[in-house]
Amino acid sequence: MGFLTPWFLAGVVGVGLPIWLHLLKRHKLDPRPFPSLMFFERREQSSVVHRRLDHILLFILRTLMLIILALLFANPFINRATPKASGKKTVVVAVDDSFSMRAFASGTSGETRLDKAKREALNVISGIPPTTTAEVLALRGTVEAMTQPTNDPAELRGAVAAIKPSDSRASFGELARFTRTLSESSKMPIEVHLISDLQKTALPPGFTDLRLAGDTTLILHPVGGEIPNWTVENVKAPTHVYDPKRVRIQATIAGFGTPAAKRTVSLVLNGKVVQTKQVDVPAGTPGRAQVEFNELAASYGPNRCELKIDSADALPGDDSFPFSVERADPKKILFIDNGRHPNAALYYRTALDSSTDAAFALEVQRPETAATANLAGYSLVVLDDLGPLPPGLEENLQRYVSPGKSLLVVLGPASVAMPKIPVEGDPILPGTSYAGRETERFLTVADVDSGHPVMKGLERLDGVNFYLAVRVTPSKDAHVLARLNDQTPLLLERQIGQGKVMVFTSTFDNGSSNDLPVHGAYWVPFVLQSATYLGGGGAEQPVDVPVDSYVELRTSESKNAAAEVLDQDGKRALSLEEATTAKTYPLTREGFFSVTTANGQHSLVAAHADRRESDLAVIPQETLDLWKATGSGGAGTDGAGGSAGDKTTPWSLSPLLLLLLLLVALAESVVANGYLRAPVERQEGARKEAA
Amino acid sequence: MLQRFLDPAVLGQLNSLDLVAKTVVDGFISGLHRSPDFGFSQEFAEYRAYTPGDDLRHVDWNVFARTERAYLKRYRGETNCQVNVLLDTSGSMQYGSRGMEKLEYAKFLAASVLYLAHLQRDAAGLVVFDDEVRHFVHPSTRQGQLHRLLHGVAEAQIGKRTDLMRPFVHLMDFLRRRGMIVVISDFWELPEKVIEMVSPLRYRGNEVVLFHLLDPEEIRPKLKHPVMLEDLETGETLEVTPDYAAHEYRDKMAAHLEDIESRAKGAGMDYFMVDTSRPLDAALREYLALRTGRL
Repeated sequence: MGFLTPWFLAGVVGVGLPIWLHLLKRHKLDPRPFPSLMFFERREQSSVVHRRLDHILLFILRTLMLIILALLFANPFINRATPKASGKKTVVVAVDDSFSMRAFASGTSGETRLDKAKREALNVISGIPPTTTAEVLALRGTVEAMTQPTNDPAELRGAVAAIKPSDSRASFGELARFTRTLSESSKMPIEVHLISDLQKTALPPGFTDLRLAGDTTLILHPVGGEIPNWTVENVKAPTHVYDPKRVRIQATIAGFGTPAAKRTVSLVLNGKVVQTKQVDVPAGTPGRAQVEFNELAASYGPNRCELKIDSADALPGDDSFPFSVERADPKKILFIDNGRHPNAALYYRTALDSSTDAAFALEVQRPETAATANLAGYSLVVLDDLGPLPPGLEENLQRYVSPGKSLLVVLGPASVAMPKIPVEGDPILPGTSYAGRETERFLTVADVDSGHPVMKGLERLDGVNFYLAVRVTPSKDAHVLARLNDQTPLLLERQIGQGKVMVFTSTFDNGSSNDLPVHGAYWVPFVLQSATYLGGGGAEQPVDVPVDSYVELRTSESKNAAAEVLDQDGKRALSLEEATTAKTYPLTREGFFSVTTANGQHSLVAAHADRRESDLAVIPQETLDLWKATGSGGAGTDGAGGSAGDKTTPWSLSPLLLLLLLLVALAESVVANGYLRAPVERQEGARKEAA
Repeated sequence: MLQRFLDPAVLGQLNSLDLVAKTVVDGFISGLHRSPDFGFSQEFAEYRAYTPGDDLRHVDWNVFARTERAYLKRYRGETNCQVNVLLDTSGSMQYGSRGMEKLEYAKFLAASVLYLAHLQRDAAGLVVFDDEVRHFVHPSTRQGQLHRLLHGVAEAQIGKRTDLMRPFVHLMDFLRRRGMIVVISDFWELPEKVIEMVSPLRYRGNEVVLFHLLDPEEIRPKLKHPVMLEDLETGETLEVTPDYAAHEYRDKMAAHLEDIESRAKGAGMDYFMVDTSRPLDAALREYLALRTGRL
């Protein structure tokens, strides 16, 4: 037995407190007046003895409490023999089934690393004594226990056989965390057999994450070494294709430990090779080369694309990179302009065209034409400071907005004479119609709702000067997204029916109103974000993701609607219950997944294996030695367990002492209550007697 | 002040006694204070055979005419009595276990006695003392005397230690006439010493009545735990066990009371032990009844 903080034992001197309370303090009685002591004799001893006996139990309890308290702070422990002393242990057989284990063990065909690892695992299992408990793990991005701890060799062998190659990335940090947890729960020494290609990229960012528990022995079984490997490391392609002639697909071809070589890169569209290019991949670790394709004759709707190389290396799985694109028509935006601001449409169109996706097509019309036009085909209508609207236009716009479409109203000098904002309806202040600049030459943006999708990343439009802004009075249900420094609303949004109307109280013309259109860093994002927000773009599901990512199937708003996922084999990946309840779906394999979310959005998601798995470089031996040394069980060699010497571990007595303290405190309360009650009852009795 | 000391209930009970009928001499204190000598009064006491040398003026000639024997007619004295109340205000008198101090009780008792004396037109006086004479009201029947007496009683404060010698010596200097001396005290002194000090009063023919005031806790102290007792007069402290208080103390106290009573009676004094837990009127009534019985 020992104490972790023995100096706290000095607190035992506190035992003097109850001694003082019970013997010394209590002995000093308050004198009670008496007429004469002529018939009394001094007999002190008898009274002290009597008092000691009277409070002996309370004294013992209080003293005990203090002693326990001091012991608690001193943190006592006893050395308890660990199960290791009795030779017991738990054997963990961890088989790496990450993407890199698909590599051929030797050459470019034949047995894969995983096959070899499973064979090695069976060898390990056969060497486990019948009384020893063992567990089989599949190691990838997470650790999957293939069995419960068991000493049945048949079950263990079955578990090994059930391990399938995966497309995930290995993580030795996860394995270390698992063994630490297992060590805490089993209280037994652990012997971990890691059967893996010991890829360097599987190490966690920090070495501390590899730390093993104190009584863990790590035995490594390497399968396969460092071999050269080419891979399609990355592909950058647009998610939407609006013009097949204006597509830019960039790919990175990397070689890990490979010599300089010429590789043939093929662009595959829906299973057909549509383009082929040659690329020189330099030597190096890694050597990288870029290749670009500028045309993709994709058909309307989602398309399955792949970029392939002819590598003929040991890991053919990473020679193709799947990605998906969707062919669609650009969304149409109607810009209604009466020619008052000739540059406005130009600036607006330029901003829209600067988008690489070119998702919008702008069409300019005169108000008179728009009054009778069918607006249903437009995803967004922009009114550019028209002033009084021609007959029928406002009604036409209201019919357009109410079902759920959007309108962007730009105010300017022509709008000042109007009593209210068209369609939106908020009043325009008469008389002092322009924002006051006071002594300043211009106004700036003071407040911005930066959380709104339109204003995201625009800061406060720093450096943009506003010389004119029409004063409007926002209604209660209008949401002001930006205000000038005289508190004039600059941008506000209001729901009209199912649709949205956004009002910009200054013009889009780089003239006397503001200089926003010449600040490209703000103007282009503002136009694109507002067009995307109002035109119904919204946030879309990412379509090219690595394996082990999750796709979102529903939000809290779409609770009961069904979602659907078709895996790369075209099979339904969700059960009926999952289809109505699952919020996300994990993409555990490489390939194309057809995802329909609960709100009806359809997308083709391409999952690709993490390309860090393509780097087959092995962890240096020094690092492995350090890792093994973190477990005090010692570094094991291939197939040999650590020695099982006698060992004890400190076992804290604090929980027991805490329990004891609680019981003693309860007893003290009860006893002290009894002592306290007696004088009170005596006093009450005396009072009654006096009455 | 009268209202304070003379509780109507107490006085009502006292007046119900047939005090006046039992008085020996008209104008004398009703049944309380018998004149110490026979005098020339109208109330007949007894006949005595004439012996040579007797004053012939006292011979009952009517009896002589009928019987031809000379008898002397004797009468009870008709003189007024002097009543002096000696009130002890020593430190021990402030003790009281039932909410009333012994001194308070003693004040009521003294006031009652003085009032009775006043009712009987006795010359009443007061000596308030501890180890000194703190206040002295000369015996008198003058108008306003009762107020002076009661004022003296009311103003009595707790003093120091008891010393009977000094007040009694002081009183001896002023006593010109024989009378009655009422001593109200707790007599925390050895019995022989008490009697020794009081006895000189008796020598001049004074009648001495001792009211021994004691709290029930003084007679039978009840202790449940050992306590530290502090002497009210000396300040001395002593730890006392319940066991001692329950047995040895009570025995000593009983012996003390018995001793002081026997010594007082032996010295021709009237002794009354007054328990302050008893009603004041009951104590007085007992005293009056006893005195009446003696007549």
